[in-house]
Amino acid sequence: MKALILVALLAGCGGKSAFRLSSDENNSYELGRALQRRQLPAQPAPVNTAGQPRLFAVTAGGAGANKTIVAYDLASGNVMWKVDAPVGSRIVVGGDFIATLEGQEIVGRDQARGQPRWRIGASNFVGVAADRERVYLVTGGNGKWWISGHDGGSGKEIWKEDASGALGAPVAQGGLVYVPFLRQWLAIVDGKTGKQHTRLRGIDQDITMVRANSSAAYYGSKQGMFELDARSASGKRSDATYGAVKVPAQLDGASYAPEVYDVVQQQYTANDRKRVLWTTTPVAQGPMQLGGDGYAVHYFRYLFGFGVDGGMRWAYSQPRVELVASDHTGNAIVAVSAAGDVVALDPQTGAVKSRKSLGTTSPVLGATFDADGWAPTGQAEPIETVAALVSIARDRDARFDRVKELAVGALAKLPGPEVTSQLLAVLADNRAPQKLKDAVVDLLVERKDPSSLPVLTQQLSVRTDYIAQTEPEALGAVAKAIAGLGGMTLDKAHVAAALAALQSQLETGTTAVPDLIMVVKAMAAIGGGAERPVLVSHLLLYRADDDVGNDVTWAKVVVAAVAGKAKAPERELLRQVAADPRTKAPVSGAIRDLISPE
Amino acid sequence: MLAGLLVSGEAVAQPAELPPPAPAPRPAPKRPAPKPPKKVDLAPEVTALNGADDDAAMAAATNLGTSEQPGAHDALLDALAFGLPARVAVAALAALTQHPAPADVAALKRYAGHHTPMVRAAAINALASYPNPEARVAIAGALHDPAGLVRAAAAGAAAKGRVRDAVEPMLKLLAKGEEASARALAAIADPDLARKLADQYGKVPDASLALALGLILKRQDFGPDPARVEIVRAMAKIQDIAATNQLKDYLDATPKNPPRPSRQEAEMVWSARTGGGK
Repeated sequence: MKALILVALLAGCGGKSAFRLSSDENNSYELGRALQRRQLPAQPAPVNTAGQPRLFAVTAGGAGANKTIVAYDLASGNVMWKVDAPVGSRIVVGGDFIATLEGQEIVGRDQARGQPRWRIGASNFVGVAADRERVYLVTGGNGKWWISGHDGGSGKEIWKEDASGALGAPVAQGGLVYVPFLRQWLAIVDGKTGKQHTRLRGIDQDITMVRANSSAAYYGSKQGMFELDARSASGKRSDATYGAVKVPAQLDGASYAPEVYDVVQQQYTANDRKRVLWTTTPVAQGPMQLGGDGYAVHYFRYLFGFGVDGGMRWAYSQPRVELVASDHTGNAIVAVSAAGDVVALDPQTGAVKSRKSLGTTSPVLGATFDADGWAPTGQAEPIETVAALVSIARDRDARFDRVKELAVGALAKLPGPEVTSQLLAVLADNRAPQKLKDAVVDLLVERKDPSSLPVLTQQLSVRTDYIAQTEPEALGAVAKAIAGLGGMTLDKAHVAAALAALQSQLETGTTAVPDLIMVVKAMAAIGGGAERPVLVSHLLLYRADDDVGNDVTWAKVVVAAVAGKAKAPERELLRQVAADPRTKAPVSGAIRDLISPE
Repeated sequence: MLAGLLVSGEAVAQPAELPPPAPAPRPAPKRPAPKPPKKVDLAPEVTALNGADDDAAMAAATNLGTSEQPGAHDALLDALAFGLPARVAVAALAALTQHPAPADVAALKRYAGHHTPMVRAAAINALASYPNPEARVAIAGALHDPAGLVRAAAAGAAAKGRVRDAVEPMLKLLAKGEEASARALAAIADPDLARKLADQYGKVPDASLALALGLILKRQDFGPDPARVEIVRAMAKIQDIAATNQLKDYLDATPKNPPRPSRQEAEMVWSARTGGGK
């Protein structure tokens, strides 16, 4: 009801404001003209006029002290300058200046030296943006909002427009300003004059996120993003260049961009540590086409690369501290850690292509990259996806328990004994959460990797030992994993070793009945008949036992293992067992189910 | 048929057996001449052993164990091979040792890995009657069992079978304060092992060490006396009251004459501790 009243009031306003309810929208002709006015570089490039890939980081100050802005040249690896400032927003980067909220003012600084160049009053700050020439400021609240354009060299106001409905934080690109309006519209405003060229209305979803690089702009919401192009005039997902990537549930909260109506997100926050990173290749029709047929997700201290099908391609784990900001330059995924480490990864493989440091001792709070198109030079480090996944899976930080599940899931899809060994190590880790261990058990069973049999066998070598204080780790799970290898081509020597190890656990009095069942299943699955005498002995040992012999599952499993393909003497023995009055009912019943009385 | 279907355990190392202690000089016992075995009908006993009445089966197992007839032992082995309830198995395992035969070891080893600790303990206890390398390995292995009942049986079996490979694990169990290991180590200790035990001071609970050393001291077959003196001096370091009590027991059990230096040493320590018993 309130919304209807608001809409009615706004509709009645009319007047000169660029931001009205009644306005031409989703006009393909006007949109086309507006897009033609964009001044985009021929190749992806930084905004700064030097064309150098740069990083502007904000670090914490001491008690009561200002924060510090660190300007850093990514190509040379040198700090350009550092200045203390009471930074209260993201840094926006222009051609030869940067700007940020400091107290109640936007302060423009010389990009080459960091010295203040101008100041603009910014009470009721909503958001700020910049392109090479100008800075754009949105302020407002309590029923009235303003957007103003200012000269980047002097801070002088060039134009100012008001709005009677909520404006979101603007994004600037090549002379155009994208201004979210009332969550439903994206106004495309001329940066030089403040006049609205046209505006887009989201028909299928809200417009609460906007992002631009040097070659493309995107808008949308948590649900998905539209690429700004001629087809945006449709306002519909089906007819526009639209895309929504598959973000694993374990990385819940990762978003495409900061929320433009949330003023908190116009500062550097923890929200920047959960980000989907992507680029696109322009298309004339169909859905959005992701650059490199994939995307990455930054999630706190981790980076994951995914293919368009949602399958994980690679993983990176930043040692010890979180990555506080990240960006996709088109040629690299670049991120900065709280400790000031700057890493650049190959978007396709996750290989580390560059590793540098801001050289700061204070924690980095956030950063803005102006590095579009940057491709780090030099030798890439070896791809360490397995190590990264292991590092994630073994991470002690309880906040990331779900990410650990994602990591072990990805790990389990990789072949080889080393991976099996690492999965088993998770099971052996007393501090690993039980849910993660349960997931690992399932994955071990699903793996069906014949080359892992020796590793699984090795795991069986640990026995219950009162003196050494050891006991088998996840015996049932390991046996279950071995059972999963039944029917596969296995090395005979590996099978013999596995059978010996399984027999040893079978004949250890301390093995719990559920584990015994798995051990029997494993022996039957891979034994090829060699296991039968051992299992017959096992059946006889417990067929009259009050505990084991009365376990229905055990009885069924062991009898099935012995009765399957049983020869005449064994069948006769089983009949004798079934007929003996001391044989427990589950055992005799299981035998009668499988062996005819003759 | 059963023997062919059952498998024996894995290959084993050849553990050494400790040399028997020097026999104490005693008069040779006068044994009665052996009587010829009494021929009895085994069939009822065998039927009872394999019947559904556990109490009757246990009694039958005991009777078959005492029988001198070859068929009795085979009946026990067959019943064990075919599988018995835990209580009956315990009786049958004990019965086997009445007339030990090499073939028993495989059956005993099989039951040494039984799910029920009581059965495992009985099997290990029985294995002590077999001077067989596999038996000794099983006994030493059972010292690692999580069930105290089984470890105690293994320690007793190690003492009875003088299993050298059991010494190290028993020293570790002594460090955990296990009385059965203290008693077993005392039973098999020669002067070297006694010295090794004395060196455990500070590494094992005082009361356990005092018990082990005190029991060695009281052994008639342990000596020579200078070795006993060393033990007394080792016990003198132990502040626990258990050491004082063990020394008192030694004094009480040893005549004053002929004079024995170890007794004199023990008396000095005891007097210093107690003020001469006043």
